[in-house]
Amino acid sequence: MGMLTMAEAMNQALREEMRRDPSVYVVGLGLYPSAASSATSGLVEEFGELRVRNAPNCETTIAGSAVGAALVGMRPVVELHLADFAFNALDEILSKAGKWRYMHGGNSGMKLPIVFLEGIGGYVNGAAEHSQSPLALYWHAPGLKIAVPTTPRDAKGLLKTAVREDNPVMFFTHKLHNGELGPVPDDPDFTIPFGVAEVRREGADVSVVATSYMVDLALEAAAELEGRGVEVEVIDPCTLEPLDTEAIVASVRKTGRLVVVDEDTRRCGVGAEIGAQVMEHAFEALRAPIGRVANPDLPVPYSPPLEAAVLPSVASITAAITATLG
Amino acid sequence: MVAPSVDEKRDLLALMVRSRAFEETAGALAASGEIPGSWLSGIGQEGTLGVIAQLRSDDYLTYTHRGAYGFIGRGCDPKRLLAELLGKQTGYCKGKGGRHIADLEHGILGKSGTIGAHAPLAAGVATAIQIRGDDAVVVSVFGEGTSNRGTTHSSMNMAAIGRLPLVWVCENNSYVGSVPAPVYLAVADVAAMAGAYGIPATIVDGNDVMAVHEAAAEAIARARAGDGPSLLELKTYRTRPFGETGTEQRDQDEIAAWRRRDPINRFRERLVTDGIVTRSEADEITATAEREMSAAARFARESPWPDPAAAFEDLYA
Repeated sequence: MGMLTMAEAMNQALREEMRRDPSVYVVGLGLYPSAASSATSGLVEEFGELRVRNAPNCETTIAGSAVGAALVGMRPVVELHLADFAFNALDEILSKAGKWRYMHGGNSGMKLPIVFLEGIGGYVNGAAEHSQSPLALYWHAPGLKIAVPTTPRDAKGLLKTAVREDNPVMFFTHKLHNGELGPVPDDPDFTIPFGVAEVRREGADVSVVATSYMVDLALEAAAELEGRGVEVEVIDPCTLEPLDTEAIVASVRKTGRLVVVDEDTRRCGVGAEIGAQVMEHAFEALRAPIGRVANPDLPVPYSPPLEAAVLPSVASITAAITATLG
Repeated sequence: MVAPSVDEKRDLLALMVRSRAFEETAGALAASGEIPGSWLSGIGQEGTLGVIAQLRSDDYLTYTHRGAYGFIGRGCDPKRLLAELLGKQTGYCKGKGGRHIADLEHGILGKSGTIGAHAPLAAGVATAIQIRGDDAVVVSVFGEGTSNRGTTHSSMNMAAIGRLPLVWVCENNSYVGSVPAPVYLAVADVAAMAGAYGIPATIVDGNDVMAVHEAAAEAIARARAGDGPSLLELKTYRTRPFGETGTEQRDQDEIAAWRRRDPINRFRERLVTDGIVTRSEADEITATAEREMSAAARFARESPWPDPAAAFEDLYA
């Protein structure tokens, strides 16, 4: 067990998987030379330029090439840097990676083992096209697994699972988490299965479901509310597809109240989906309307006071939790 | 370059004739409404088989939305192809794809619903070949209309930088729907675009299958040797409407003139003149192909529909 940043934990995961399986390769923009510590730092020195491929500046082509390579037995890991940039490759991700196997009836045991690495999130004054967290867009589309790790440990374990997965995986990490330290197992057999939620904090009064950096904010809100005698349970699904509905429903059955925190825009968002699932499975357990904390359907603005007005905060989460208590 | 043998020429004629017979069968099934979706005919463009017929079994192909010659040339089973077009359970994609067909065992990677999306896929397959270090090649067929998409250009760029084992084959059939190429294409030759990426390009009469064969042999050899991508531009013509059940406005004299340059008729006459096949042998090749495709149509018609429960299968591996 070492203390690693999330970027270092992902780097370790990729090294281990590339050592284990020669069909794993990495492709993306500017993988080397690179001064910044990232998931792909230094991989070229160990694995060479054939398996660590600096690609031309076109997400469409990078993502599409990964689909082609996966069709013939490779396991590409695609560094798209920001989720905002990945919009350039939506045909490739949504319609090729996500639907190719289904449309072709799984012909000849067709597999599409691709990992798309995408950075998400605001709070960095990046303006509207460097701050997005479009999890719901991909969740809406059939055929994609979605991993959203919160801690360095989870990033390593989930990334190793993603690389071994025979289906396309969207792997979202928050910009603010890249340099965050945490304990990470160094066992090369350590993996974390998809579809298993983590209870980040136990509590009896209100369930809060959050992913990624929203977990950090939710835990801060929970600590604050503890002082006022409110026990908040924080559930981190870790993967949206598959979703650990059972864990969420079990928590709501215990607390009777649910707030979903999501950095993405609210409309048709993660909160809408989780809220609907909870109503389908545990309507009778709800003692208050489900709360949603999310971006109020706006592009993320640049200036600090404007950005703060749009993105979820400890204050807005605290207010939403308090509202469910009546 | 070794010229094709007498047997190879006969086989190539038979492939072209089988492809035509398949297409005529598919066209009839579209006209009768038995194909619930659509079929886009490639009749008149079978000269592309000059490329496809010389691929090895470990090579790969991405094809356009048009024609059957990609499938027939790679050795796919016409029964399963027609069953797929009819939406039957016995089709290559169990009725989920229609004309979007994959047959990985024959190196047919599948069919995108968007034009231009095959180009990055082909670059990726070529990347895989390069990483694993064998000498397979990828042939990626596209139309001149598809040269409008950025993916065509960005993938040529990627292939050129990586010296990827890829042969781009542009079937320039001069029209998108009823719209003539000068309306959407800034240059007369798609081959000129390859020059921008340092990719060698050859313009060939796409209706002269021997000329196509010769140019393709060179491009394939170059890719196999690790010397990078090439582009072939096959000047050809679509004699059928965009979709089999559609109509369109085109000059009938122009269509008639191109029909006189039909790649199959030309090749057959040449083989007869050269004494490689007799006229009765050529007729027998056609009759055999027509019998094969009738039997395939019967198989497809008699095949069961998929169980509705199968709609819930195949999303994930």
